[in-house]
Amino acid sequence: MIKARRRPHEWIGEGAAATAALITFALTLAIFGFMGWLAMPLLQGETLTTLFTSVWRPDRGQFGILPMAWGTLAVALPATLLAFPLSLGFACFATHLAPRRLRKTLKGLAGLMTGIPTVVYGFSAVFLLVPLIREMAGRGSGFSIIAAVLVLALLISPTMILILISAFEAVPQPWQRCFDSMGATPEETVWHLLFPLATRSMVGALLLGLGRAIGDTLIALMLAGNAVLAPTDPFGPARTLTSHIGLVMAADVESLEFRSVFACGLLLYLLIFVLTLLVRYLTRRPAA
Amino acid sequence: MKRGHLILTALIFWAITPILPGAQADPWSTFKPLKGELVISGGTAHIPVMKALATKIMKVSPGIRISIAGGGSGLGIKQVGEGIVTIGNSGRAPKPEEISRYGLVLHRWAVDGVAVAVHPENPVRALSFAQLRAIYSGSLTNWKALGGPDRTINLYTRDASSGTRSVFWKKALGKGEIHASALFVKSNGAMKSALAGDPYGIGYLSVGHLDPSVTGLAIEGVTPTLANVKSGKYTIARGLYSNTKGDATGLAAAFLDALYSPTGQELIAAKGFIPVKG
Amino acid sequence: MKRWRRLLLHGGALLSTLGLLSGVFFFLGHIVLKGMPSLSLALIFGDTSPLKALLFTQRVFNGLFPAICGTLCLVLLSVVLALPAGILTGVWLSHFGSGRAKALLSLCIDTLAGVPSIVVGLFGFSFAILLHKISHGTVGPSLGIAALTLSVLVLPGIVRNTQLALAAIPRETHLAVSAMGATPVQAIVRVYLPMASPGIFRGAILAMGRCAEDTAAIMLTGVVATAGAPYALFGRFEALPFAIFTIASEYSGPEELAQGYGASLILLLLCALLFGLSALIASRFHPDTP
Repeated sequence: MIKARRRPHEWIGEGAAATAALITFALTLAIFGFMGWLAMPLLQGETLTTLFTSVWRPDRGQFGILPMAWGTLAVALPATLLAFPLSLGFACFATHLAPRRLRKTLKGLAGLMTGIPTVVYGFSAVFLLVPLIREMAGRGSGFSIIAAVLVLALLISPTMILILISAFEAVPQPWQRCFDSMGATPEETVWHLLFPLATRSMVGALLLGLGRAIGDTLIALMLAGNAVLAPTDPFGPARTLTSHIGLVMAADVESLEFRSVFACGLLLYLLIFVLTLLVRYLTRRPAA
Repeated sequence: MKRGHLILTALIFWAITPILPGAQADPWSTFKPLKGELVISGGTAHIPVMKALATKIMKVSPGIRISIAGGGSGLGIKQVGEGIVTIGNSGRAPKPEEISRYGLVLHRWAVDGVAVAVHPENPVRALSFAQLRAIYSGSLTNWKALGGPDRTINLYTRDASSGTRSVFWKKALGKGEIHASALFVKSNGAMKSALAGDPYGIGYLSVGHLDPSVTGLAIEGVTPTLANVKSGKYTIARGLYSNTKGDATGLAAAFLDALYSPTGQELIAAKGFIPVKG
Repeated sequence: MKRWRRLLLHGGALLSTLGLLSGVFFFLGHIVLKGMPSLSLALIFGDTSPLKALLFTQRVFNGLFPAICGTLCLVLLSVVLALPAGILTGVWLSHFGSGRAKALLSLCIDTLAGVPSIVVGLFGFSFAILLHKISHGTVGPSLGIAALTLSVLVLPGIVRNTQLALAAIPRETHLAVSAMGATPVQAIVRVYLPMASPGIFRGAILAMGRCAEDTAAIMLTGVVATAGAPYALFGRFEALPFAIFTIASEYSGPEELAQGYGASLILLLLCALLFGLSALIASRFHPDTP
C-alpha cells in the first residue's frame, strides 16, 4: 500500500479501534485484579491456610473452600465425561453417518440447542428430574450431584458438538473423497481419517466443555442441594464454587466471609485461564 | 434538580404529617402526593406483608416505586447500615453492636414463631427438643425411629444470614450443631416449597408461612399456632423488625406508619402474623 | 474394519444422537406441555388492562410484564454498550494489531469468553459497591450496572464474530480496494464493515440471546423479585430468567407455579426466536457455514 500523508480521520479511526482494544484488554485484567484485590486480606498470613481446609463455618472464622472445590470437580468432571462421547457420537452422525437429508437438520438442531436458556433446563429439572431421582435412589432428597450432572451434560454438549462438527468439516474434502473412492464405509472414514486428524480439536472440545461445566452456576445452584459437604455420594448434595458465590452474596462487604467469595472467584478465573491456554495450545487457530 | 425537589416535598410532607388530623384514619391518602423510590431488602419472612402493602401503596400513588428483595436478615441489616437500601428487614433483633455501629432504628411490627415442618404425608406430628437436636446434629438419621417411613431424614437449613436460622438455632437447638449434610435454601418461601416437595424432609420456617402444603410439628407437645405463639406457650418465637438508619424519613416513614395503621395491622394479621402496635 | 466394530460405531453415534435429542425433548416438552395452558394475557398483564400496561399508564402487579420489560431493557442496553467496543476491537484485531499485542489481546478475549458469568457478576457487583462509595450512595446495584456486566459477558462473542466476518471478505476485494487508493480507515468504514455487517449483526443477535437468558450475572447486580417495570437507569429491576429462578425455589402455590411454567415458555420462545434469526442470517449470507 502506498504511504500517503495521514489525514485526521485515519488517526481517529485507528485511535478508536486501538482504544476499544485497550478497553477489552483492560477489562480482562480488571476482573482478575478486582478478584485478587478483594481476596487479598484472606490470601495473606494465617487465613490463607484456613482457606484450604474443609471447614466452612463463617461464624467461627473458618472459611475453608475445599468442599466447594471438590463439589465443582464432582459435578463438572462427570458431566464432561458423560457429555463428550455423546457429543462425539452426535457430531459423527450429523456429519458422516446420518442419511444425507438428515444431516443439515441435525446440525441446525445442535445450533438451536446452544440457545436453550439454562434457567429453563433448571426449572424443568426441579419438577421433573429431582422427584424421579429421589424415588429411584430410595434415599436423599433428589437434589443431588447426579441430577446436576445429567442436566449439565445436556447443557454443555451442544457447545462440544459444534466444535467437533467444525473440526470434522475442516478435514479436506479431497481426502474424504479418496477414502470414499477406495471403498471405505463412512464408519471407516470416521475411524481412520477423522479421528486421527481431529484428535487435537477433540481434546480442545473436551476442555472447552469442561470450562463451561465448571463455570455454570444455575444448574448446580438449583439442583445440587448446596450442602457444604465434601461430596461422597452421587445421590447426595454438593456445593460448587459458582453456587457458593451465588449463595454467600448475602454477607457483609468488609467481612472475611465475603472475601472468601472473591477467593472462589479468583480460583475459578485461574482455572479457566489454564484451560484457555491448554485449548489454545491444542488448537492453534490459523487467523486468530 | 428533580431529586432535590422530591426530597423537599417529602421533607415538607413529613414535617406536617403528625399535625394532619385525618392522617391516621386513612393512611393511603398520605401517599398520594409522595413520589420516589423505596428500596427494601432483608428478612424473607416479611416479604408477603411487604409485597401486599407495597402493592396497595403503589396502586394509590403512581409516583411511588417500591422494590423488595430477600437475602436474609443479616443482609437486610448490613445493607440498610451501608445505605444501599432504605429499609432493612430482619427476623431477629439486630445485635447491639449492629445497632450502635450503623445507628439503626428498630421498628418491630409483628410477633412470629419459627415452626419445624415436614411434608403432610409424613406421619410424624410431634418432636421433643432432644429429638430435634438429635435430628439436626446428624445422630438420628432415619424417620423410622420416630414412627415414620424407613427413609433417611433430609435436613433443610438456611444460610448464616437468615434470622429464622439464628432464632431456630438459639431457641430450638440450644445453639447445637447443624449437620453439614443439610441442604440449603434461600428463603422462608423456598423452605416451604422444598418441604412441600420432599416427603422425607424436615426444615424450619416462619409460622406465618405455614399453609396446608406443609405440616408444622408440635414441639414438646405445643403446636406452632398463632394462639400458642401469642400466649407464649410456643417458645420458639421472635419479632419481625423493619430497620432504618437513623429515624425514618419521607417515604420510608410513611411506609412504616402505614404498617402500624389499623389497615396495616389487619394486613399483617391476614398474612399470618401477630401484629404489634407501635 | 470389522463388521461388529462398524456396527458399534454406527450404533453408538445413533444412540448418542437419539439420547441427547430425547433428553432435550424430555425437559423442553415438559415446559411446553405445562406452559401452554398458562399462556394468556393474564399471565403477562395480571388484572391490569393490557393497553394501559403497554402505555405505562397503569402498573402491573401480578403479571410477568415488569420482568419482560426488564429483560428487554437489559438486552438492548447491554448490546448497545457492547457493540461499539466489540466491533472496534474486532476491527483492530483484524486490521491494525500485529505481533505480540495482537496475540496477547487474542488470549485475553479467549479468557474473557471462558470466565464464568457468576465471576463476571461478582466483578460487576464489586464495581457497583465501589461506585456506591464514590458517588455517596446514588449509584448502586441497578439496571445500568447489570447491563454493563452483561456487556462484558457478551463482548468476546461480538469481537470473534466481527473478526470472522471480516476474515471472510475475499482477497480480491482487498486488492481492489487498495488499488483504488483507499486509506485503511476508508476501506474499513466504506467497504469491509458493510460487507461484514450480516456476520456482525448475527453476533449481535447471539449476544442478545445470551443477555436474555443469563441469570447468574444479574443475580449479583441488582435484579430483585419485586420492583415493577424498569423506571430508572440506576434503579432495581426485574428480569424474566430471575423470575423463573425465584419461582422454581419459592413458588407460593399452583398459580405461581403455572406462572413459572409460562415464564419459562416465554423465555424459551424468545431465545428460539433470536437463535432462529441468527441461523437464518447465517444461511442467507454464508450458505456454506453450518
